[in-house]
Amino acid sequence: MFQRILIANRGEIALRVIRTAREQGIETVAVYSEADACALHTRLADQAIALGGHLPSESYLDMDKILAAAKKTGAEAIHPGYGFLAENATFARRVVEAGLTWIGPPPDAISQMGDKIVSRQIMKAANVPMVPGMTEPAADAKVARAAADEMGYPVMLKAAAGGGGKGIRIVHEPSEIESAFRTASGEALAGFGDGRMYVERYLVNTRHIEIQVMFDAHGNGVHFGERECSMQRRHQKLVEECPSPAVSEAMREAMGAAALRAGAAVNYEGAGTVEFLASGEEFFFLEMNTRLQVEHPVTEMVTGVDLVWEQLRVAAGEELGYGQDAIQMTGHSIEVRLNAEDPSNNFLPSVGTVGNIRIPGGPWVRFDSGIYPNMEVGLNYDPMLGKLIVWAPDRKQAIARMRRSLEELNIGGVRTSAVAGLAVMNDAGFQAGEFHTQYLENMNMTEPAGERDKVVAAATAMRRWKQANRSALAPRDADRLGWIARGRVGASVYPHIAGSTAGFTREGTRS
Amino acid sequence: MKYFVNVNGRPIEVEIVDRAGRLNVSIGGELVDFSYEEVDKEGQVALVMDERGYAVSVAGKDNDYHVTLAGHAYAVEIEDERERAAHAAERERSKGGGVIKSVMPGVVVELCVAVGDVVEAGQSLLILEAMKMQNEIKAPSEGRVKRIFCKAGEAVSAGAKLFELEALEE
Repeated sequence: MFQRILIANRGEIALRVIRTAREQGIETVAVYSEADACALHTRLADQAIALGGHLPSESYLDMDKILAAAKKTGAEAIHPGYGFLAENATFARRVVEAGLTWIGPPPDAISQMGDKIVSRQIMKAANVPMVPGMTEPAADAKVARAAADEMGYPVMLKAAAGGGGKGIRIVHEPSEIESAFRTASGEALAGFGDGRMYVERYLVNTRHIEIQVMFDAHGNGVHFGERECSMQRRHQKLVEECPSPAVSEAMREAMGAAALRAGAAVNYEGAGTVEFLASGEEFFFLEMNTRLQVEHPVTEMVTGVDLVWEQLRVAAGEELGYGQDAIQMTGHSIEVRLNAEDPSNNFLPSVGTVGNIRIPGGPWVRFDSGIYPNMEVGLNYDPMLGKLIVWAPDRKQAIARMRRSLEELNIGGVRTSAVAGLAVMNDAGFQAGEFHTQYLENMNMTEPAGERDKVVAAATAMRRWKQANRSALAPRDADRLGWIARGRVGASVYPHIAGSTAGFTREGTRS
Repeated sequence: MKYFVNVNGRPIEVEIVDRAGRLNVSIGGELVDFSYEEVDKEGQVALVMDERGYAVSVAGKDNDYHVTLAGHAYAVEIEDERERAAHAAERERSKGGGVIKSVMPGVVVELCVAVGDVVEAGQSLLILEAMKMQNEIKAPSEGRVKRIFCKAGEAVSAGAKLFELEALEE
């Protein structure tokens, strides 16, 4: 086993890796940007190396600086977390070439799975079910249209190198395909330097269900069941759970076997996630994420396995040492992501300084977060501040526990998606397990009127607080004028606060 | 002094009266007994009203305050009589005009309108990319686009002027 590892990341995932390493007696090296001088990962690692800079490109994305930090500290391995360089095959190769261990899959597996056309070809050969579509890029819009005509509309026009919703168009009619091809291909070329496009059938009201896999370097692999990730918005997941209310034992077995074939086909090692689109009992390969995922804790809660420890073990060359039979799923786990955004205002990003923090506790409640008092939440980094995870013997109790925990939680200073998580917990469709990937987009995120006693309590506390903090609110008249003159953004999505400052300030009317 | 209270956009039937620094809260003429203690300097408050406990958090800035209670956000507006009249008058005056500023830094992806265009309230003015997400910036009221202070591809900081709208002639 390693004596010292470097974690090339920040925030909650850096902390997550530090925690397991500490428990196992492995020393940790953190790297940090100028903006993260006070961050928890900087404070809690054994060693912390300054990378300087505020922008990711000057710090967490700077391969030279990170490799230099590893060399300087004598770290034997690098854990990339997720995001930043986690799925960068060039960086993985450089780590290996520097004589270090890459805590992740082989660089070739990263690049094969990173190319959607190459991965489709490999998956087809490995007999992994796929959304009906092309396995070769379409030379031009004409070829794409011929393929689409054969498949039937609607179709999805996708860039081979796309990601994060870029280079993707849903085409409902043959007449739309030419302009969609042009714009999506252009977008992919500009964003990823690769304009190759292909067409696949567009399935409506599907679920996003993924399988967690783990392979060692000796040809052994197991899966840890599925995660239900359909509660998402603009491809950003909000609520994840394990198991999925839509997956039967037989379906789980079939998906698990397909996921293991997918991994084996690229000689996978370490932790990975195979994402599927599911419709009823049918499922189709979407992509493989060649890293640990944000939502891995729900799998840990249900299987009792520390996935980061398993990552470290297999990266150090150990055998898994157990087979599929050893993986038992017990009870139900739910995660809610806490993003700095305002759900009641169309999920607009929220920035600010973290004020008071009240973290929920009690049995089977887990809070994975890098948040700390006075932390500046800006736009340079991922807006995810942390995750709240609960476990309970069954789904109904897990929902009740998550609701209770979200009611206890408070993060002051910025708006968070916690209110959206609460809205999901209270939603009848979610409670019944009947939802799909478009479900969240259509949920009403307007805050309810509220129970009478709570409304009165809120108003009283606010008035009394203003009275007590009058001196702190010194420029009151100016503020008041500013408040008056303010317009609002997205009146249709934020109708309940007259003259609120929802998105935009307006001036020019001050007299 | 008597206050008018709106919570989440709805007026609530509560009388909050400031009598020489003491706050009296009553519902339907009945005085409510309450205890208010600040837990920290960061807005956490322990409120007990009629022997029910509430873990309240007050947050916000620039007079955009909200209260968080049991996981829900309550937007609370409290005005006295004078403020209420002043606000109403201001709203009337500012109808259809003024400068629109960005409240967050980002990059202008696309301008949806040109100088001289007449826009309706809620119409998209531009697309701003921030935190890897594209956000639609909408017109707060109807008006004519008088000036545009930014262009596509430009990075804007929080508080940067984006547009100036002028009121439509009657």
